[in-house]
Amino acid sequence: MGTLAEESARATRRSESMRWRWPQLPRRVLLGIGGVLAFIALWKASYQFEWTGAGTMPDPFLLPQTLWEEGASGRLLPAIGSSLIHYAWGLGIGTALGMAIGFAAATNAMFEDVHAYLARILRPIPPLAWVVFAIAWFQVSHAGAAFVIAIGVFWVNYFATYAAIRGVDPRYYELARAFGHGSWWRQSLTVTLPAAAPGMLSGFRTGVGQAWMALIAAELLGVPGMGQEMNSAAGVGAYEAVVIYMFAISAVYALCDFAFVHFENWVLQWRP
Amino acid sequence: MAPLAHPVVEVDRVTLRHPNALAPVLRNTSLAIQDGEFVCVVGSSGVGKSTLLRAVAGLLEPEGGAVRVHAPPASDRRHRAVVFQDSRLLPWRRVAGNVALGLKALALDKGEAEARVRDALALTGLTDFAQRWPHQLSGGQAQRVGIARALAVRPAILLMDEPFSAVDAITRKHLQDELGRIWQASGAAAVFVTHDIAEAAFLADRVVVLAGSPAGVAADIPVTVPRPRRRDSSELAAVADTIAKRLHV
Repeated sequence: MGTLAEESARATRRSESMRWRWPQLPRRVLLGIGGVLAFIALWKASYQFEWTGAGTMPDPFLLPQTLWEEGASGRLLPAIGSSLIHYAWGLGIGTALGMAIGFAAATNAMFEDVHAYLARILRPIPPLAWVVFAIAWFQVSHAGAAFVIAIGVFWVNYFATYAAIRGVDPRYYELARAFGHGSWWRQSLTVTLPAAAPGMLSGFRTGVGQAWMALIAAELLGVPGMGQEMNSAAGVGAYEAVVIYMFAISAVYALCDFAFVHFENWVLQWRP
Repeated sequence: MAPLAHPVVEVDRVTLRHPNALAPVLRNTSLAIQDGEFVCVVGSSGVGKSTLLRAVAGLLEPEGGAVRVHAPPASDRRHRAVVFQDSRLLPWRRVAGNVALGLKALALDKGEAEARVRDALALTGLTDFAQRWPHQLSGGQAQRVGIARALAVRPAILLMDEPFSAVDAITRKHLQDELGRIWQASGAAAVFVTHDIAEAAFLADRVVVLAGSPAGVAADIPVTVPRPRRRDSSELAAVADTIAKRLHV
């Protein structure tokens, strides 16, 4: 009798363990939340005990209220909107030019020779060094911010595109010739672009991140946007507001990256 | 001997050199392929079989001599189509897209192009695989797609460079059987490069042996065994024996 009860109890446990299996995900989620909480606790402690000096550390517990205030003040959303305008233009122009010139350099020997030294001279100049000319040419304007962003994005895409095209398996070109795709245009469309797409897209993704960094730096100069709001909040010691803009930047970037990953998976769905 | 009635391709005293090579790989090599004929080219590895095939395909310019294609000009077909040793499918196109590769350059309306793809897939037994990506295929299936891609352009001559050398033995026999059937259905002439003597004897109307350095045609052996052929027939064994002797194996 005892054995029968034990057996059925074991069976119940077994079926329960089948129903209530703790998979990897919740554990990972719990650990992730734990990490964030530990960070907030450390942060709060450093605020409480003034580890960085009095009045220089924002209080994490004030952030929800500050978020509400920034939103209600009508500053947050226009700042995000303004930043997105710089972002979209800078990213778009820098990416288009970087890919186009990288493409031309990788597929045309003469163009490559003509631009080789020039690229080597201009490449090492950090995008932010161009801020001087951004202001001189475009004043403190949307165009100036977009210009600085575009320069950083340009080089990332230029090199990614160039390397991706140089890495295309030459046997595909022989195939293209064998099946009537002999011209530069036909080969570009049939082989070069699709074969180089993974490398070009990974350059684009790096550019998506790089553009954000350049964006904030460009706006710190005073072009309306999240960078400017951060700067003016810091000027009056409103560090909680600065943190709100930092997290807003993080959130918008995460959204962009999320959208990009989906776009990439769709374009490159042929990959194993 | 019967006069060369309708050579579809004529290789006329061709000399070929690998890029940057000192000595030519083939010298003064001549060969005529008749309409609808299946010719296997055999030879030891590195002798220049693939190089010769590329020249016949127009992918390689001969240093001397000429390759001449005798087929009526047509805007809806390619005279020559190639099946490569590696299946060489474009990984970003589905099977149907790969088969359609050569059709873009032809004057075909959309319906006709689609029908061509459908027919080529049906002939190679790939109808159910049209929407697969290349990475979802086995080696044998990928090679069949390569054949379908070549057939879709309705070539007068089908050029194959050791297309079955990378597939397993069972698949290989299966593909050889199918190729015989497909070739007869297509009506094209075929040049099939291989280093496998039994494969050459089984498939060919004529086996051309390349040998020497630089290489030339060392033997031209007709295979008169009627089709369909049986692999274990004594006549094929005799042919294989003759080929082997000419290869000095």
